[in-house]
This record gives sequence, structure tokens and C-alpha cells, in this order.
Amino acid sequence: MAHEILSATNAVVTLDVALPGIVWPWLVTVNMWAKSIGTGVIFMLFVLLRMYPEQAGKLRLPASIAAFVFINIFLLFTLADLHQPFRMWHIFVYSNWTSAIAIGSVMASTFLGLLTLLGYLAWKKDGETFDKVLLWTTILAIPVTLYTASLMAQCTARELWQMPAESAQMILAALLAGSAFMLLLGGNKLGDEAKNLLGIILGLSALMAFIIYMSEYIFGPMKAEEIAATIGYVKNNGPYAVMFWVGQWMTYILPMMLVVLSRVGKSESILKLAAILALVGLAVVKHVWLMIPQLLPMS
Amino acid sequence: MQLGFLVDLHLCMGCKGCEIACKVENEVPLSTWRLRVKYVDVGTFPETKRTFTPLRCNHCENAPCERICPVSALHYLENGIVNIDKERCIGCAGCVMACPYGAIYIDPQTQTADKCTYCAHRVASSMMPACVVACPVQANIFGDLEDPTSNISKYIQKNQGSVQVRKPEKGTNPHHFYVGGGNITLNPLASRRENGHNLFNNITTLPVGGHH
Repeated sequence: MAHEILSATNAVVTLDVALPGIVWPWLVTVNMWAKSIGTGVIFMLFVLLRMYPEQAGKLRLPASIAAFVFINIFLLFTLADLHQPFRMWHIFVYSNWTSAIAIGSVMASTFLGLLTLLGYLAWKKDGETFDKVLLWTTILAIPVTLYTASLMAQCTARELWQMPAESAQMILAALLAGSAFMLLLGGNKLGDEAKNLLGIILGLSALMAFIIYMSEYIFGPMKAEEIAATIGYVKNNGPYAVMFWVGQWMTYILPMMLVVLSRVGKSESILKLAAILALVGLAVVKHVWLMIPQLLPMS
Repeated sequence: MQLGFLVDLHLCMGCKGCEIACKVENEVPLSTWRLRVKYVDVGTFPETKRTFTPLRCNHCENAPCERICPVSALHYLENGIVNIDKERCIGCAGCVMACPYGAIYIDPQTQTADKCTYCAHRVASSMMPACVVACPVQANIFGDLEDPTSNISKYIQKNQGSVQVRKPEKGTNPHHFYVGGGNITLNPLASRRENGHNLFNNITTLPVGGHH
């Protein structure tokens, strides 16, 4: 690997231009975080309506509004991140269908349309039609939450972002954020069984996501020198080491422990604390994973 | 026709004439570069050597920037050049993130992506790219890779054993070759980047597009 050559050659850049800094800033972090919540809420609403239709029926309107708001936040921050936001319409007119951005934009716009329809149907209290539309919305939520993974995978320059791991992380982030948000949104509308189910989804998705992160942290550097260099930013004294571990503890380790504790102690407050930690921590985790590949010099 | 570039690093002396010619020809704004020459020093005093590597867009056959661009602002010309339509670009910076060679930048004046186009406007008028004309030692060799009688094809034939591309593992099939290159010149991870490697200041990174 390059670092071994480096120690032998003592090669140092003595004259070069300043390289570009962070290309995709925190706006993209918020984009991913909000999308996880927006799609995750729909996943959870679908599951709850199938398993606990009586209780979950009361959540049709608030869940639709929540998903609508977070998908709008996602779209707003996507727009804000563009250097030419007033040309956004080009995506729909000059679409390049090999691009995950183009495909994702069309899917996300359709998703927003369905969410608007869901909100309207919930407000009209048309539960039957709502449930039919929700099925299609849930199906569409899967590629909507996954497309960011394919976008990251299309970033050939960023070796860290591999499609298999990122797609699993995107789905798990949606399940984690959706269950956490529903636990907070459900309040006294949901019974203990429904809350237990959401707690289990929260705990298991946290466990799975944590396993994937740790696998990449430990085994990733053994595969490619670029991954080794990128992971170096979160290891030892790397600039993102503290933030990485704060994120892992807040989003995964503590919520997992709190979910178990809440089941043992039958405490709803502990479950809500786990949900809040997971939601806040998810933004930290996403941010670190977005930033570190951008610190690597490409040329 | 498939246009390509070859740089003979044995010949390059780091005069940066190509860099300046490119800046002037394409009116590249301050703080951004389509082509630059990187100096890397190797060894420990007194056993040291300085290497010079001109770096520009590789005009890949399988270009990640073209693939990720949502509006086809980045597109192939018939002669193989990966060109950019700045009027169409929305500034999503997907191409900047996708390019494994760090060859694309956000123009701070137009807030759109930009990069080396092999001076497509000059090529269309049967002229050589500005950097080729400026090079005093003919280290930049430009021409049709599909024409076996072109200078570049002959050069590649003559130096078959030492022709390399940057990051071949990425599968991009670059149309930009180097003769006399090595890990230190072609792999950015094989050299340290320390503060103060600029000639006139200590700035190592600049904000993309001038803001954000």
C-alpha cells in the first residue's frame, strides 16, 4: 500500500495548488437525515396499520404530515446544495437516466405527490383509499431511500462508499429513524404491544447498522489503500474520530441498551430517550460518513 | 477518431508553461485550475529528486462524471473529448464527487462545473490544445489514438513498457497516458501533503465554488 512506499521514499508535495475543500457539505447530511425520517415513517405506518389497525388508524394524518414535512426538508436542502438552484428544472427536461440524481429526483417528486394525496385522504378520513395508496407509497419509499446509496456508489472517487453496504445502511437508517419517530409521534395512541414492536425494530436496526459500520471500520482498510486512508480520519487521532464514536454511541450502542432496559423495566420513558438519541445521533453518523471520503486528496 | 493525451514525465521540467497557457486560453478563474503541475520531492537530503506531474482531465472512455451528471451537461464529443455544457449544468457537484482524478471544479464565477476539455474549441479549428503549444520540450503529446500514424500512437508503441494511466483500478479507461510515471507521480496517496506546499501561501484547501 501507498503508506508503506511513503515511509521508504519520504515523498512530499513541495509545490501544488490548493485542493478543493468539502464538496458536499452539511446540507447533504440534513438531506439524508430528513429522507430517512420521511421514508421511515411511511414504512412504520404501513407495518402498524397491518398489525394494529385500530390504534394506528389514528396516526394516518399525523404520520402523513410528518413524512410530508421531512421529505420537503430533504428536497429543500437538496435544492439549497445546488450551485445553480434555479436550474433545478433541467433535471426533468434534460434527464440523464444513468444518473442516480436524475432517477432519484423523479422518484422523490412522485413520492411527495403520493404523500400529499395521503395527507388529503387522511384529512377526509377515507381510510380505505388511504391504505390502498399507502401500499404504493411504501413500495416507492424503498427506492427513494435507496437511491442516495446508488448516488454515493456512483461517486467512483470515493472508495469508502460501496453500494452493498450503503444500501443496507440507508434501509436501516430509515427503519431506525422511522421507528424512533413513530415512538415519539405515537404517544398514547399506540398500545404497549405496538410500542414494543417499534422498540424491537429500533434496537435491531441499530444493531445491524452498528455491525456494518464496525465491519467497515475494521475490515475495510484491509481491502484498499483508499479505504485505509479514509478510515484513518476516524481512527486514533483522526479529525473525525471523536464525532464518529459520539455518533456510534448515540445512534446505535445507547439506544440498543436502552431498548433492552425499557423492556426489562417496562419503561416508556426509556424507550423515548432511546428514540431521541437515535434520531439526533443519526445526523452525526451520516455527517461523519459523508465528510471523511472528501478529505482525501484525489490528485 | 479518439483523441488522447500523453505526457512524457522524463521530459517535463516543471516550468508550468502549460498551466499558464491553459489559464489564459480558457480564462480559468482565480483559485481554480484545469491543468496544474504538481511537484513532489523524493528522498532525504542530499539524496533527493524532484518530480513534476502535469494533471488534467483524463477524458475517460467510461467517465464517472458523464454517468453521474443528471442533466448530461457532461457529454462525449464524437472525437472522444468529454465536454461540458455550462449553460445546462445545475451545479450539483456530483461530477466533482465522482471524478477519481480531482479534475473537475466549480467555477466561482458561473457556479457551474468546469474542467479541461482538451481545448475542444481549438481542436474544432484544427489547432493543438494551448498546453501542447506552450510546452518548450514537447512533453505533451496530443493526437488520435485510433490513427496508428499519429504521434501519440507512435509514442505509445515506442514506449509500450512504460506507458501508464492514473488509477487503472477504477475502470474508467482514461485517454490520458504517462510515460516515465510511477507511484509517487501518479498516486496521490504515495506522497505527503503538508501545510505550506504552495509557493505564496499556506492554504491547502479552498472552498468549493467560492462559498457554501
